[in-house]
Amino acid sequence: MMSNIMRESHIMKIHYLTALVAVGFVIIHIMVRITQGFANSLEFESVIANYKSIPYAIVLEAMLILISVHGFNGLRIILLELKQGNAYENAVTYGCLVAMIALIAYGSRTIIMASMGMVEA
Amino acid sequence: MEKDRKEGIRGMANPGRYGIERVAYWLMRITGLGLLFYFIGHIYETSNLLDGKAAWNSMLELTQTTEGHIFLTLVIGMCVFHTGNGIRLMIGQAGFGIGKPGRADYPYTPKSLNMKGKLCIYVSIGLAALAMMYGLGVMYDV
Repeated sequence: MMSNIMRESHIMKIHYLTALVAVGFVIIHIMVRITQGFANSLEFESVIANYKSIPYAIVLEAMLILISVHGFNGLRIILLELKQGNAYENAVTYGCLVAMIALIAYGSRTIIMASMGMVEA
Repeated sequence: MEKDRKEGIRGMANPGRYGIERVAYWLMRITGLGLLFYFIGHIYETSNLLDGKAAWNSMLELTQTTEGHIFLTLVIGMCVFHTGNGIRLMIGQAGFGIGKPGRADYPYTPKSLNMKGKLCIYVSIGLAALAMMYGLGVMYDV
């Protein structure tokens, strides 16, 4: 169980910290879209240029990790409120952990490949 | 009280009986799940970028419809409410704004469920509504 590895109070601190930092990054992400003009900023060339900017790619990667950790821990909390039991709690905790890692890996693939220009013509 | 017990988890979850705090409890969970599903969809949507301009544009067309705009407006609302109410919960769990502990006397009104907390919930809902209107303005280029 996750609580064997880490105290639930520490997990909640991580939950709150990831939320606060993610809010800051999401504000940057939205401001970039709005300042470029919402429709223009979504043009293919504009988005690719965003990914090729290393500081912005770092913001995207940080946002991906922070929101994934916060989101899947939130899902774990909701599911543990519904039902308890050793086997169930282990399944929920490790299931959320695996889903979180898979989402981070999939999102990171997009960020890395787009920032390196590995995009189909 | 007897009726409460008979209802079990349904009685606990009833958003209409226990005031705005229970409504906020449900909204927090619903918006959290909604945002997680949106986030997963957003990661998949942006991965279409790697398949080239045609794939990106066809994916983008899905969001450039009235339904797409309504969906994104709901996402904005969920995001703002979840943030506002989340900050309220963090402040409360840090021990601020929940009153001093005291002896439980009749009518056993919980000190932690006070007007400050209620106000924060209403402000979060109000901010979400304002952000949704602003978002609609940006999407429709008003």
